[in-house]
Amino acid sequence: MLAARRPLCNQSEAMTTALVHIALSAYVAAAVFFLVWLVRPQRPAAPDATSRLVSAGRAMLLVGVVLHLASFAAARAQGGIATAGLGGDEWRGGQLFSLLAAVTVAGYLILDFRYKLPVAGAFVAPFTVAVMVPAHLVQTGARQFAPSLTHSAALALHVGAAALGSAALGLAFALSLLYLLGEKQIKNKHPGRLFSRLPSLDLIDRAGWRLSVWGFAFLSIAIATGSLVSKESTGASFPLQPKEGFAVLAWALLAALIQARLVAGWRGRRVALLVVAGFLLLVGTYAGLFAAPPQASTLSMLVPGGG
Amino acid sequence: MASPVLLCVGLSHREVPIAVREQVAVSADDLPEKLRRLKAIPGVREAFLVSTCNRLEIFSVADSRTVADDLLREVGPAGAPHAVVRSDDDALTHLFRVAASLDSMVVGEAQILGQIKDAHETAKLHGAAGAYFARLMAKAQSAAKRVRTETQIARGAVSVASVAVQLARKVLGNLAGRTVLLVGAGEMAQLAARELHQSSASELLVANRSSARAEEIAREVAGVAVNLAELPALLERADVVLCSTGAREPVVTHEMMVRALKARRYRPAFLIDLALPRNVEPSVNELENVYVYDMDDLERVAAGNRELREQEVARAEEIVREELAALRKADRERSAVPVLARLREHAHGVAKSEVERTLAQLAALDEKQKKAVQAMASAIVNKLLHGPTSRLREEQGGPLAEAAAELFGLAEGPGADPVANPVANPPEGEAADVLPISGRK
Repeated sequence: MLAARRPLCNQSEAMTTALVHIALSAYVAAAVFFLVWLVRPQRPAAPDATSRLVSAGRAMLLVGVVLHLASFAAARAQGGIATAGLGGDEWRGGQLFSLLAAVTVAGYLILDFRYKLPVAGAFVAPFTVAVMVPAHLVQTGARQFAPSLTHSAALALHVGAAALGSAALGLAFALSLLYLLGEKQIKNKHPGRLFSRLPSLDLIDRAGWRLSVWGFAFLSIAIATGSLVSKESTGASFPLQPKEGFAVLAWALLAALIQARLVAGWRGRRVALLVVAGFLLLVGTYAGLFAAPPQASTLSMLVPGGG
Repeated sequence: MASPVLLCVGLSHREVPIAVREQVAVSADDLPEKLRRLKAIPGVREAFLVSTCNRLEIFSVADSRTVADDLLREVGPAGAPHAVVRSDDDALTHLFRVAASLDSMVVGEAQILGQIKDAHETAKLHGAAGAYFARLMAKAQSAAKRVRTETQIARGAVSVASVAVQLARKVLGNLAGRTVLLVGAGEMAQLAARELHQSSASELLVANRSSARAEEIAREVAGVAVNLAELPALLERADVVLCSTGAREPVVTHEMMVRALKARRYRPAFLIDLALPRNVEPSVNELENVYVYDMDDLERVAAGNRELREQEVARAEEIVREELAALRKADRERSAVPVLARLREHAHGVAKSEVERTLAQLAALDEKQKKAVQAMASAIVNKLLHGPTSRLREEQGGPLAEAAAELFGLAEGPGADPVANPVANPPEGEAADVLPISGRK
């Protein structure tokens, strides 16, 4: 796969790549376990078999995320090549998505530990695989940071906050979809197979709400620090590009959502729809990375094909 | 007189939605009058009526099948086009299946047997049901009890109350700290309320038209009696509302719930409507964060339970078949005894008259000789009947007894009244006579 396409610079990079590939394999295995658990008929006579699938899925995700984070650490130790990059001299295509995948899995495991949400694992695990595979199979060249940004704390904070915010909102998005599906089934009185797997609507709503608040907080930090990074690299605090536009729209929508929930008591379906809309705007932000000219945005260098 | 038939005319959750069932339901107050009318139908010998949230069934022993048309009229114009007419063996099987909770919305639930027993007792009290249904009900109850003790269908979340609680948890999650409001005095709603309270719901409010009744129920379910007039304010407070009043108009309206929802800041509310007619306006379910489940909706959820317990249901069906076979065998035995008696009576009667005629022509015989002739005639009859009698006893009646009765002209007589066992030997091809009224010829 990737190892065959990309020439290895040294042994250390080979180890990093191997860690990422093992992590990816663990994510694939987790996705299989969770999906089998989701689609197979529920058998009360054999609850152990069901819980074993979920346990195996969780274990695979844990193994995957530990190895994945270890690959970032290894990459950082060797000077910033390959999958990590923060604080290094250059980024390779797909790094941001790889980081986003790792943070999402870690976030999910915390969420699952707190709320017991295996059904969300059936969405998160395949999503992680879907993000990781193109991030590591698409061959792109490494991009140099602007010299002023090589060791920029603002950039590190910006990328970290963006990844955490995106992961939180991604999980909130997944929960919102689950809420809408579950709510529709309960409302229409046609409980399907998913129905028995779902936790209560109240729990999904509460978990989604907390993730949205965290997502909003990190997105606020990402936008503020992004402005600093932009000023450092281009001199403009807030360049008018699609990426920034989508980010601000997503932020505004989430702010409105939080206001509506706290002041008017909005909850349930309409909040779930707003979270879905907010996340789609955030996806628009990432799409904006592709559309932006290389020099217009620092992060344009962080995506496959960027710059 | 034509042979009497067992008839069952009715409809259930299988045939019609709740909107129809609520129009045909017979309240406890109206039941005596309804039974009087049923008994007054020409050709009806015995009858009883079961009216629950899920079914209206009229069972009757009648002189002919045409009586079914009159019974259909008693179902009412809203229900008659959907009603199912069953007769003889099929009606009997249906009664057994209903009593065993195999035809219930929630298979295995225990309430239906009590409801059927109550319906039969009421019919007895008002002179509508007699010896025939007394015997049949005893057998049906025995079968139902076997099903409950020998299978697992009653285990797990099988009652409507349990399904309702399970759904409440699906919407509201942990019920700790939630407020439950019980409106009305329905038994099923009380069961559900108790179960919700036991699921750590912190507050159970009981509202009733009569404050004394509210106090009484509140004591039974360990709740707090409240005034029904305060219902709009109570809806703002309650997370789960259980409705089971006998009101003919909706108790919880769309407008009332819109106001309550706003006041409770859109916190979700789960409304369980176990009443017939329904107490909650159907449009309330269209409101955001409000979920309304009526009896029909609970059926959909209960369907899942049935699927999971297929094996147990199959075993229960087998028990019902066994009990029905035992009943038919007993009926055949009962029917064979009078045929045998009449056959012997007939043969000895013929022999006696022939002996008397012969002895009249043989006047010279002394008493000893006359007794010898009489003994000989009796011995001939006994020897001739020995084989057929043994066969009839072995066969326990059935077609052979009918053939003997037909062959020797024994149909008339005190033991021949088929009302004692109209289902003992259903005519071939009539056992599956289950036709919706629209399909009747």
